[in-house]
Amino acid sequence: MATEVKPAAAEDAKMDLFEDDDEFEEFEIDQEWDDKEEGKEALQQWEDDWDDDDVNDDFSLQLRRELENKSAKS
Amino acid sequence: MAYLSMGEAHRRITDYLSRFSDAVSSQDAAVLSPLLAVSSNSASLQSLADALNVFQDSNRLVGQMERSSQLAEILSPLLRCIQSYRLGRFADAYVALEKAAKYYFVFFFCLFVSKIPTLFWFMTVWRWGFFSAFLQEFRNWETPWAMEALYTLALEIRLLAEKADRELASSGKNPEKLQGAGSFLMRVFGALAGKGPKRAGALYVACQLFKVYFKLGTVHLCRSVIRSIETARIFDFEEFPVKDKSTCNVNLAQVTYMYYTGRLEVYNENFLVADQKLTYALMHCSPRKETNKRMILKYLIPVKLSIGILPKQWLIEKYNLIEYGEVVNALKKGDLRLLRQALREHEDRFLRSGVYLVLEKLELLVYQRLIKKIYVLQKQKDPSKAHQVKLENIVKALKWLELDMDIDEVECIVAILIYKNLIKGYIAHKSKVVVLSKQDPFPKLNGKPVGS
Repeated sequence: MATEVKPAAAEDAKMDLFEDDDEFEEFEIDQEWDDKEEGKEALQQWEDDWDDDDVNDDFSLQLRRELENKSAKS
Repeated sequence: MAYLSMGEAHRRITDYLSRFSDAVSSQDAAVLSPLLAVSSNSASLQSLADALNVFQDSNRLVGQMERSSQLAEILSPLLRCIQSYRLGRFADAYVALEKAAKYYFVFFFCLFVSKIPTLFWFMTVWRWGFFSAFLQEFRNWETPWAMEALYTLALEIRLLAEKADRELASSGKNPEKLQGAGSFLMRVFGALAGKGPKRAGALYVACQLFKVYFKLGTVHLCRSVIRSIETARIFDFEEFPVKDKSTCNVNLAQVTYMYYTGRLEVYNENFLVADQKLTYALMHCSPRKETNKRMILKYLIPVKLSIGILPKQWLIEKYNLIEYGEVVNALKKGDLRLLRQALREHEDRFLRSGVYLVLEKLELLVYQRLIKKIYVLQKQKDPSKAHQVKLENIVKALKWLELDMDIDEVECIVAILIYKNLIKGYIAHKSKVVVLSKQDPFPKLNGKPVGS
């Protein structure tokens, strides 16, 4: 009896055309939780005051050196 | 498969039929939903499928039992579906399920219409011969239990259609079941979208429709779904208190709804709306669904970046979204080279999720940051001349970052930055200097999109 070998890889490739990588998982009916805690966490996830005047990082220090380098390599 | 006697097969089938009918008459979604969940591979459905393979004439059984005969139009195709599914014949299973679902929904709709019985629906139901039974059984279709069973059915329709298409594609046939599922669910949606308690059902079906359309790459079809949901005001954020169990599921469906509509807003570059929707989804997403949170963040982070808000480092690490780590660093530093590197390195990923163009536009913000750094460094050295930045210095900084640009190109970029209100000032063209405003020369976005 000849066993049928399924072209699994080819199949995947074909289906790839229809893939949405980011398909949202289904929710489970009747699950409950308190989302207050989560909400609090959510507020600490972002920063909007990052655009400061701090120039003591490595990048800025190097940038300063480059700018002060009058004998520009150009 | 172990040997199964005819008697045992008979017992299993009648058991399923009576459980189904009981669940319908007692309106018990917790019992009914698993009976409809064909793709769940539950042990009880598997053993039922085995019984169906042994006992070929299950339709006779459906007709014999008084209770189940009233539901025959649903049960016969449903049994056929369960059997085909177990045999791995997904296309057949899908066709049968769609039929079962059609009748299931027809009863449902009849009852809504039945408040004013019309000749048409009377005739239709009469033809099927279980009018009075259903009027009794489904009078309370509007209650949450019916919506939950509907949710399961809509989900199964989509899942089976996907499997069917995989099967069809691998045997060289045209995979069209998912598209079929899309139009079927759209019809269901059309009948549900209105006012009243049905809206929960409409929301469930909408979520399945989004998944179908995103998978098929026909996202433009989402628009009509969104329009009818938003014009019918099917849900209001405030209307469903989370604490109430029956509305909890609606809230969960809202998370899915917000995720998909948020993604669409990202594609349309409506960053403020996208931010609102995706933030809602993130804040109300079940803490147990870490993968869903990650998916939301995959779209929310680029949106936030483009309105000048950065994710904290721990957030990127917690959800393993390191592809954004370097983008964030580039913004913080003003490192244009790093931004371009990060975009190149993760190009595939960003293109697939459709955020590449959003991230590419961050370049202006990085330029702004770089020029601001030059300005701050100058100020430290000589505060009196700080507000005059030589274009030559910007060229020099870019050269250091291995970006070869001449002074005209840099002038052009500065002009764009001024136009987009990322820099306040003017260009003294002759002396090749940017003269910065003394007040707030680098306005912050403060949660608004660039150029607004």
